[in-house]
Amino acid sequence: MGVLPMAAATLTKGKRRRRSNFGQDNLVGYLFISPWLIAFFLFTFIPISVSLILSFTDYNVLANSGDFIGLDNFQRMFFEDRRYWRSVNATVKYVVFSVPLRLVFALAVAMLLNTYRRGVGVYRAAFYAPSIIGGSIAVAVMWREIFGNDGLVNFTLNLLGIEGPNWLGRPETAIWTLIILAAWQFGSPMLIFLAGLKNIPKHLYESAEIDGANSLQRFLRITLPMLTPIIFFNLIMQLISGFMVFTQAFIVTQGRPLDTTLFYALYVYRRAFEQNEMGYASAMAWVMLMVIALLTAFVFRSSSYWVHYEADEGS
Amino acid sequence: MKRSKVLLVLLSIAVLVLPSLSLTAQDMTEVRISWWGSQNRHDRTIATIELYEELNPDIDIVYEFQGWRDHWTKLSTQAAGGELPDIMQHDYARIEEWVANGLLMPLDGYIESGAIDTMNISDSSLAGGMVDGQMYGINLGNNSEVFTLDTDAFAAAGIELPPLDWTWTQFEDIANAIQETLDIHGIGVLTSDQLWKSYYMGCCDQWAYAADGMSLGYEDDQPLVDYYNMLLRLQESGGMQSYEDSVARGDQGVEAQLIVTQEAAMAYHWSNQIVAVWTASGEDRNFVMYPIPRPEGGQSQNYIKPSMFFSVTSQAEQPDEAAAFIDWFVNSVEANEILAAERGVPISSVVRDALLPNLGAAQAEMFNYLGIIEMDNSPIRPADPAAHADVINNVFVPEFVEPVMYGMISPEEAASYLREEANRILGAQ
Amino acid sequence: MAGIEAQAPAGLSAPRVIRPALPWYQRPMARTIFYHAAVGVTCFFMLYPIMWLVGSSFKPPDEIWTNQTAIIPKEFYPQNYPNGWAGFGGISFTTFYRNSLFYATLGTILSVSASSVVAYGFARVRFRGRRIWFAVMLVTLMLPTQVQIIPQYIVFKQLGWLNTFYPLLLPRIGGSAFFIFMIIQFIRSIPVDLDEAAMIDGASKFGIFLRVILPQLTPAIITAAIFSFYWTWDEFLVPLIYLNSPELYLVSLALRTFSDPSGQTDWGAIFAMSALSLLPVFVIFISFQRYLVEGISTTGLKG
Repeated sequence: MGVLPMAAATLTKGKRRRRSNFGQDNLVGYLFISPWLIAFFLFTFIPISVSLILSFTDYNVLANSGDFIGLDNFQRMFFEDRRYWRSVNATVKYVVFSVPLRLVFALAVAMLLNTYRRGVGVYRAAFYAPSIIGGSIAVAVMWREIFGNDGLVNFTLNLLGIEGPNWLGRPETAIWTLIILAAWQFGSPMLIFLAGLKNIPKHLYESAEIDGANSLQRFLRITLPMLTPIIFFNLIMQLISGFMVFTQAFIVTQGRPLDTTLFYALYVYRRAFEQNEMGYASAMAWVMLMVIALLTAFVFRSSSYWVHYEADEGS
Repeated sequence: MKRSKVLLVLLSIAVLVLPSLSLTAQDMTEVRISWWGSQNRHDRTIATIELYEELNPDIDIVYEFQGWRDHWTKLSTQAAGGELPDIMQHDYARIEEWVANGLLMPLDGYIESGAIDTMNISDSSLAGGMVDGQMYGINLGNNSEVFTLDTDAFAAAGIELPPLDWTWTQFEDIANAIQETLDIHGIGVLTSDQLWKSYYMGCCDQWAYAADGMSLGYEDDQPLVDYYNMLLRLQESGGMQSYEDSVARGDQGVEAQLIVTQEAAMAYHWSNQIVAVWTASGEDRNFVMYPIPRPEGGQSQNYIKPSMFFSVTSQAEQPDEAAAFIDWFVNSVEANEILAAERGVPISSVVRDALLPNLGAAQAEMFNYLGIIEMDNSPIRPADPAAHADVINNVFVPEFVEPVMYGMISPEEAASYLREEANRILGAQ
Repeated sequence: MAGIEAQAPAGLSAPRVIRPALPWYQRPMARTIFYHAAVGVTCFFMLYPIMWLVGSSFKPPDEIWTNQTAIIPKEFYPQNYPNGWAGFGGISFTTFYRNSLFYATLGTILSVSASSVVAYGFARVRFRGRRIWFAVMLVTLMLPTQVQIIPQYIVFKQLGWLNTFYPLLLPRIGGSAFFIFMIIQFIRSIPVDLDEAAMIDGASKFGIFLRVILPQLTPAIITAAIFSFYWTWDEFLVPLIYLNSPELYLVSLALRTFSDPSGQTDWGAIFAMSALSLLPVFVIFISFQRYLVEGISTTGLKG
């Protein structure tokens, strides 16, 4: 691992020394984080370690046993398993498109709703609504209906004179229904942006207005920089959850057609619980962990160039 | 502050609704049982269990139930943790894998001693639960594949109903004729792995898997290629729903079949699903059940398949009581009056006769159909090898059916890849 | 990015600056109408699925699949609701709702309060090993639950906690990595001047947390509570594994227990109960969301 602790150095951004008189306290620090530490060692540490060990075995759930097989799982995954690479392909495509889309929608709508008008509470609820529909089987039926031949999407396209494709049936378009589903469920980053917008001190806008800044300038000079810690958080979390996407494919497409929506976590689940190959599944899961960790570390590294923290303002 | 008020309200809700965290201890003998199903099955099974507890006051049947997929996730976790229930509902396609891992208990002793009474049960109804010559699951209902025909649609199209021993050639003509006259599909997709396996039985008296389960059981890919060439022709003509369309609609259960919405005049499914199909279609529709068409000059492709089993697990704490419950569940007329053949046609002839007078239209058709199949069926199949699910999920569907039906690869090429990969997986068991 | 820039001004500047002799389309009234029209139309698309779900929940069994696209049923059939609510073999949704409300409420309180405390420790106290623990915490988010389930099951079995709520609730005493990180980010955008002032006044670290930081975290904590409630309400895999007795089942579990792809399924009941299951989450959202933006406009807007 090693990379992340290094990247997490941005937490302190090298300003420790100057502020060392303020807040350096090992005992108090561990006291505050002790709930997490206790829960971690009691409930998380063992399962995570076991899964790491299992990734070097051919552990089968039903047999409840497995032999140590060295790097065979990794060899099989990288060189022998065609479906593995299809799942990588689907997941990368999903992340590349859904993460920016979600963030842009979330920020745009948060700005739009961060106002006081009659009925804005109702609008906020409406925009959040798609995000709470959950993962029940009713959602699968509903989503298929919306993207069906005479469903809402193709009906709307028809009004615009466009003949819609067979969304869920074609290998080229099936993944787009899941990307659209993700973009449409931007409720959680939107709420976090709203909360972040509320934390921006009003006086900054007032003084900018006195200086004659127009709304675009106010957005670029105040809103955006003040929001960077939240943008940073949303970016990291959307990246992680994007790579781990599971439910949508699990209930709506089940990986079809032609494995174009076979997301990584779905494939892990199938190997683990349909084929009972928990050793192989663990190996896949750990490869993904490494990749996400590296990417996260990279984003953390970059954050010192673009994330602005009030609390770290030295001068 | 407002926030503390909110917190207070939430806390009081939590206390009000606090459910008991522990369950009361019992002095009675506890038998744990777990099954999958839908609301209908849960209701009926629970009512049956309550009746059993009434009749046996010293027995407490502790039950768990869940949906199909969750059943396997939950039970394999319990298996790894040594926490399996005494009785679990099991599936034909998975039983061998569980037996191979020593998780189920052979029931032959109970059958010999009469604890599980098989007096009124035919051998063909029991054979599905045999693995390597021992009995691991008691069949809960007879089932067979069926082609359901919408007689109103046939009449509207002016097409005569075929003979019961119809062939795939006749079927293809009918499907195309329906498409031409009514402008609806003849049938939904026919790419199920069941049809792959039974086609070899119909044409060549071979089974998909070799007897030892270590390789495929057929030498010649040509019958499979012929069958898929027919599907490709039907897909092209519209006689069969396109594969693409079936993917777009997804596996939404029996109720979403094209015959229900009158987008097709025939449907392929399991015989016990006719009740669901008929209910979703409406009472005023008319259906008749047919065996699977047979290859030209071949034999019947149908066989009697156990819809599901009750198995006693090797981790069971009360195997004797578990066997006693299974015996009652299968043989008691009272129990089966509550269960109402929801799991398929009861295997005990006594129970069957007792249920006959009170059947609804769909169920009567199902009982009648199973009677026909029992007279003319192909030999009982060996249980699927332990790697069956692996072959289907990781080779048959993604590397054979899908690329062929999407026209990305020829049936010949795909069939030989299927052989190669399936043999590799089967041989490595 | 163009989208943001175009839409941002509408939200931020709208009612504040009123200059005389604006063209009609920039007058407040016109802008208000434009705002409501644009947002309202978008709302329709956002709410369509829920309208469809509610509509379908009133369709009779033989209409669900035969009249699938319609939002308004041909025949109004409210019977789906009592059919669904009846649950399974006498254990009704009354039980499942009671369990879910208990679990989601207690689970939310546990994980949000623990997360705030831990986040404060990470954000405002400097201690040896801080960066490493933070990184470890993030990494725990990156491993799919699916591969942790079996070892975890065995741990909880050893503790004798199967078929109880302990495996679901107790891991929450450490908060959730998502909320901890989120609250850290909010704390770090609060200037340290206030902390320092309080420290000079002799306040302890915990005192600063309670009196200086916590009041400023209201939006973050409300947000976390909304998410936590929904995620807990919707949680499925872990409850499936640990709750055996139907008397302990949650709404999320019960919903997935309705259907069997190979058997008969009462879709009307599924739709009815799915629609109903959104209600508590929605109520929580509606009652909490006003804390998020309320007050933002109290300056500069009269009436």
